[in-house]
Amino acid sequence: MNGMMERKPMIAQKNYVHEMVTLRIFATILLVSIAIAQIFPFVWIFSYSIKKSGDLFGPELLSFPGNPQWGNYYKAFFDGKIPLYLSNTLKIVIPSVAFATILPFMLAYACTRMEWKLKKLVWLLVVVGMTIPIHTTLLPNFIWYRTFRLLDTHLGLIISNVAFSMSFNTIVFSGLLAGIPRSMEEAAFIEGAGYSVILPKIIAPMATTGFVTVGVQTFLSHWNEFIMANTFLSTELKRTLPFSIILFSGQYVSDYAVQFACMTLVALPPLVLYFILSKWILAGVTAGAIKG
Amino acid sequence: MNSLFNNKKVVALLVLPGLCVMLFAIAAPLVISVIFSFVKWAGFGKIRFIGFGNYARLIKDEVFWRSLINVLALILVTVFIQNVFAFFIASMMTKLSGGLSRVLRTIYFIPATLSLVVVTRLWVNIFHPDYGVLNKILRLIGAGDAAKAWLGNPDTALWAVIWIMIWQGFGWALLFFYGGLMTVPKELEEAAIVDGANRGQLYMHVVLPYMMPVVQSIVIIDVISSMKQMEMAYLSTEGGPGNTTQFIALYLYQRAFKYSEYGYGNAISVLFVIIAVGLTLVIQRMFRKSVDQI
Repeated sequence: MNGMMERKPMIAQKNYVHEMVTLRIFATILLVSIAIAQIFPFVWIFSYSIKKSGDLFGPELLSFPGNPQWGNYYKAFFDGKIPLYLSNTLKIVIPSVAFATILPFMLAYACTRMEWKLKKLVWLLVVVGMTIPIHTTLLPNFIWYRTFRLLDTHLGLIISNVAFSMSFNTIVFSGLLAGIPRSMEEAAFIEGAGYSVILPKIIAPMATTGFVTVGVQTFLSHWNEFIMANTFLSTELKRTLPFSIILFSGQYVSDYAVQFACMTLVALPPLVLYFILSKWILAGVTAGAIKG
Repeated sequence: MNSLFNNKKVVALLVLPGLCVMLFAIAAPLVISVIFSFVKWAGFGKIRFIGFGNYARLIKDEVFWRSLINVLALILVTVFIQNVFAFFIASMMTKLSGGLSRVLRTIYFIPATLSLVVVTRLWVNIFHPDYGVLNKILRLIGAGDAAKAWLGNPDTALWAVIWIMIWQGFGWALLFFYGGLMTVPKELEEAAIVDGANRGQLYMHVVLPYMMPVVQSIVIIDVISSMKQMEMAYLSTEGGPGNTTQFIALYLYQRAFKYSEYGYGNAISVLFVIIAVGLTLVIQRMFRKSVDQI
């Protein structure tokens, strides 16, 4: 009787190990093929970017020309105003990510660790704020931002970017901050430290994963921002990076190959940055799921 | 010690900057939107108060309802197709060696790091009727009859646009599920296997219930981000052909800026906020029930 009881799990385990090996081979083949399918569009885009525009219409799937047209890149870079548009994008994204990280950290601290009267109401605003789509402010802001002369400015976009990142980021931070024991602040306070020391020197380092998660996700969403820039930036000199591509899909419609070169150029900086920081980015996004 | 966590000055300094930004850039515009939803205005010239006129028109506006149905279609595809696929891939990934799985995760997340304009233009070109790679593949395998203008054909346009949207979102879903799966204790899985559970039972009765909080936040994020989708439709089809790829956020935008119906656009906007907040609340409540049952 006793032996019977022991045998059953053993068989189950043996089958399990055998199954694991088959499963691993199957998983590897499937996942690698998906990865190849995922990369293919980028290789395809690159192959088109060094062709002559007239050569795109051949029947072959993927081919690299004998005489690559690197001139397409020259044209895309300067005619697409990439240096100007890239610097505009950075002028918006760098301050907006900084504020959209620090302000939610402060708000989350006050909401999770301090006692005050209107806390519940403010928290409700934070939670409801998460569900409000940015597009619903596009029309009213045409009037509202005009009154403050924010309409055709980078500052206006920065403010909106920060506002729409507040809710999600505050919620991520508060999940982290709630777990820290209160004795952390109390010990520092007894030694004479004020909040100007406690927050940056003691609490912030304990929330490092939060800063990575929030920083990465906020960067990606602000980098992606298009519709506000498209609506509010009427001066061409103030526009952002995506407009390089739009320039070529409108103005030079016949010059297909240059459009592909432009797409490659615009995609390149975030890709390089991504590969350098991928360890942090992946960790930040993965952690976001568990805390969010 | 009381004054440490009660200090009103500190609270004000911490709360006010963030709160003011939110009130200034979210709350105030919404109030203005409500006010302007009661007027008829082209964006210039005379403003005329028309009461609930815009809303009465909205209820009978077929394009509005179609755009709402399209958003629901996007939500369903995201939750039940993209998510199920991402969960499947993520669970396979946990069976691979650490190095290979990291390389694959890095590749799968590439689309999420690219600007949506790049992603949209990429797919507009893949779907291009003449030189697009999709039609080239079809012709190559002898299915040339199936080749079409994917984004220009009313039968396929919506699915092509939704495909672009979930293609960029896939990396996010994958990493979220992977992160969730990594939190499931190995002992729990092993115990279930020793008890004779097969793989399906293992996932249905052990892994998924354990991950329920993660699934909940993924679904809520999906719903919220699906509601916000419009840029890809705007950049690929502009809602066409014949409004088949119209989404609410795109429709209110076009009403205001393309057709100069500022008041009507605001009415759509107000209803949009109500639907977005309402839907999120309903889904949150649904989850609370299902979590209680477990």
